[in-house]
Amino acid sequence: MMAVLIALVASSPTKGWSGRSLSLLDPTYASKYIPIIASVSEHQPPTWPSYFMDINVLAFLVPAGIIACFSPLSDASSFVVLYIVTSVYFSGVMVRLMLVLAPAACILSGIALSQAFDVLARSIKFQLPGFPTNSEVDAGDSNPITVEAKNNAPKTDKTGEPSKDRPSRKNKKKGKEQAERPSVKGKPEKKRLLVLPMGASILALLLLVLLSAFYVVHSVWAAAEAYSAPSIVLTSYSHDGLHVFDDFREAYAWLSHNTDVDHKVASWWDYGYQTTAMANRTVIVDNNTWNNTHIATVGTAMSSPEKAAWEIFNSLDVKYVLVVFGGLVGYPSDDINKFLWMVRIGGGVFPHIKEPDYLVNSFL
Amino acid sequence: METEMGFSRFALFLFTIALLSSPVLSDLVLSKVDRRIYLTSQIVRYTATLRVENEGSELVSEVLLAFPELQAKNLAYLTVSVNEGKGKQKVSTDDLPIEVVSPKNMPPAVSFYSVTLPKGLAPGDSLTLDVMAVFTHALQPFPEKITQADIQLVVFQDSAYYLSPYAVKVQSLSVKLPEARIESYTKLENTKVHGSEIKYGPHEDLPAFSYSPIGIHFESNQPFSNAQEVEREIEISHWGNVQITEHYKLIHGGAQSKGEFSRLDFQARPNVRGASAIRYLVATLPPRAHSVYYRDEIGNISTSHLWSDSKKTELLIEPRYPMFGGWRTAFTIGYGLPLQDFLFQSEGKRFLNITLSSPMVELVIDKLIVKVVLPEGSKDISVSTPFPVKQWQETKISHLDIDGRPVVVLEKTNVVPEHNKYFQVYYKFNKLSMLREPLMLISGFFFLFVACIVYTRADISISKSSASYLAKQQWEEVQAAIQQVESIINRCLATHDKLEASLRDLSRTGDVQACKAARKTADGLLKDLSKELKPLLAFLQSSPSASQILPKVEDLVAKEKELQERVMTKHSTVVDAYERKSAGKDIENRVALQQQKITALKQEVDDLMEYIDEI
Repeated sequence: MMAVLIALVASSPTKGWSGRSLSLLDPTYASKYIPIIASVSEHQPPTWPSYFMDINVLAFLVPAGIIACFSPLSDASSFVVLYIVTSVYFSGVMVRLMLVLAPAACILSGIALSQAFDVLARSIKFQLPGFPTNSEVDAGDSNPITVEAKNNAPKTDKTGEPSKDRPSRKNKKKGKEQAERPSVKGKPEKKRLLVLPMGASILALLLLVLLSAFYVVHSVWAAAEAYSAPSIVLTSYSHDGLHVFDDFREAYAWLSHNTDVDHKVASWWDYGYQTTAMANRTVIVDNNTWNNTHIATVGTAMSSPEKAAWEIFNSLDVKYVLVVFGGLVGYPSDDINKFLWMVRIGGGVFPHIKEPDYLVNSFL
Repeated sequence: METEMGFSRFALFLFTIALLSSPVLSDLVLSKVDRRIYLTSQIVRYTATLRVENEGSELVSEVLLAFPELQAKNLAYLTVSVNEGKGKQKVSTDDLPIEVVSPKNMPPAVSFYSVTLPKGLAPGDSLTLDVMAVFTHALQPFPEKITQADIQLVVFQDSAYYLSPYAVKVQSLSVKLPEARIESYTKLENTKVHGSEIKYGPHEDLPAFSYSPIGIHFESNQPFSNAQEVEREIEISHWGNVQITEHYKLIHGGAQSKGEFSRLDFQARPNVRGASAIRYLVATLPPRAHSVYYRDEIGNISTSHLWSDSKKTELLIEPRYPMFGGWRTAFTIGYGLPLQDFLFQSEGKRFLNITLSSPMVELVIDKLIVKVVLPEGSKDISVSTPFPVKQWQETKISHLDIDGRPVVVLEKTNVVPEHNKYFQVYYKFNKLSMLREPLMLISGFFFLFVACIVYTRADISISKSSASYLAKQQWEEVQAAIQQVESIINRCLATHDKLEASLRDLSRTGDVQACKAARKTADGLLKDLSKELKPLLAFLQSSPSASQILPKVEDLVAKEKELQERVMTKHSTVVDAYERKSAGKDIENRVALQQQKITALKQEVDDLMEYIDEI
């Protein structure tokens, strides 16, 4: 039993792997063999602007984050780098996989931003006029950092003073400070830390905050306008206010109240679930595009002349056919727009439907 | 048309036969009858002014009204009132009681209604009665199926002569049509057409039960909105709101639609293509109606308008699609009204005074169900309606209910807008019952909080000698001891700091005596502290649960002691050196080693303290 299974899987050229996941490796696979996968707009490769629309500012923070992950390179940071690289590749093949890219981009740009804020805040903190000195602090918890900062910012005030004082008071004090220095240098974590000039770091901090604010504004807008617009009620703003196109629900309500309970409705598969839920009628094909041949039958019926189409629909026991036409109000994604896909999908199963027959100039 | 006319001719035949055999009823004579029939909407309204004279010798207390049975089946509403005005001024009084009667020896296929006169009609006297009747489904669409482009034509049938069990001296009939376009009408002598009005008559001296069928075939583009079922729920909440929810199932009652519906034609030329479609419905809600919603099964319907002023609130709703003949739709309307407009008190009882039927204008309802939901705890419920309805009681369980709320259900068929009168529901409600709901909520939350308090403070350990309980107690003691050790060590460290400070002072001021004095006090303090430390250490050594922390504590104490010694030696070296006035560098060299050790020890002591802290 297992051997048969293994043999079956091994006999296909792609070792039993097909469908949407194979089109990730070979983007041309779907358009050649399974047009229904190619017809879904979320399976197309993304355009460059769609990257900026989706991840906005993160698009240039991600490379900074990748560099930040390399110093130091630990297990966690190498995982993140691998994650972002593979998700960038796959989101480039199928725009729907931008969802996979988003968390990785957020993580990496978070790393980059936090490093940037770290440096800038530190610069400001060390150059603040009221910064507490370490003259009364025990040797045990003196900051090696402050020692270095004082070395780097000689022009500032009181913090510089004790260091200058110390060599001069060496003769009076009993060598505590000198004893401190070697013990300080003996500490294990001694890093050369970067400090930028004060004015530049304040400006950079403000600009980064502003950048994040713009990012938030853009994200909220994208979520509200681009990803929340329900496609069942369409709105348009005209000179006399908001105009609502509720045509879909009108059609479903009409079907629900004015047809018999066992009448079947044939439409393109986009409207299947809505018809089932709102019009409460049986449909021929719906959004669960599981049966390719069935969808191809409906597609063939839509692309055939009336007599042939009538026979196909009759054989499916269909009473009503639902077709969406957007010409009166200018709705761009109606069935006329999807018509070529109906031809392609039908032609994928029924060879008598040939796409060039439906085009004016065959070389289009 | 053929069948209708055929039947009418048959009825006429029956009536003429009946005429010959009808008895002479009481000696009333109708001296003047003026009838007006309004066909201007889908509801047929009929008014008649009868002048009744008593030509007999007895007091007459009832007057019979007759309607052909086919018409009587469609009769929805009938009122009769006495008209007391003289001449041009007509004043109507209250409605007179009407009963359906079936007297003997009457012609078949006629329904009789008996009107009881309040004071009776003395012999020789005369009386003017105003009769108002409303008929539904009385207009038959003919042709029965039309396309979108056809006009809707309907047929109305009646009699030109007033059907009555009494002889009529003078009578006239006037029929008002909605538009001037009349397809055909029965022409008798004395028939005149003025625009959209047809006048039959006057006819004189007709015997009882005279009947002359007429039919009028005309165009009517009025919306034939017919609700097959309307369920109206009125929910009273004593917190200040009356919530009304109405569910409608509508059908277009005119000529059935055949062929296709072209939205393009309908929108481009609505009066030519689809003039008889139902485009909108208007509802007149009481003033101060708020939170009005209009939705159906699928969701909210956005095509509606609401205007309100101080006398009424007008709601215009458009169904999701324009309704053509035979098309159905269903929707729900809901709104809230302020309680003080509708709930009143009288004689210890409260009563709700509200309109019975739907607020829609010109809507024919086949079956109306009105449910009045009273608050829980209402007793002695009684209903008074202006006309008979079928009623019964139910229970509805809603928010914060224990037993359920009593519901009075009223049902009536064949309802027209004239039925939209006020009715009253009386009930008794104890004022204290109003507190039941807030008390329920308050006590619920109260008990929840008390339970939480009890749970967090109660000692739910089974026995005080259980191993875990004892272990916990011991651990707490150990912790207390450790804390005390820590504070002692902190004080030791503070003393070391003081010594260092004194050294610094020495380097500044050169005062050796002060330094020595500081040394002495420090010595004393340290001795005291080590004395305090001893019993604590002993306790820790003896307690079993401190076993893992004991080594660290001992380590800490040992290190601290060592630190103490080194600080002391350093101090004494420095002071000695000062006394001998040796060079600074010298001093430094001597204490260098000590100093290194001191700092290292200090660090270790700090680490240990932190570690102990964290446990």
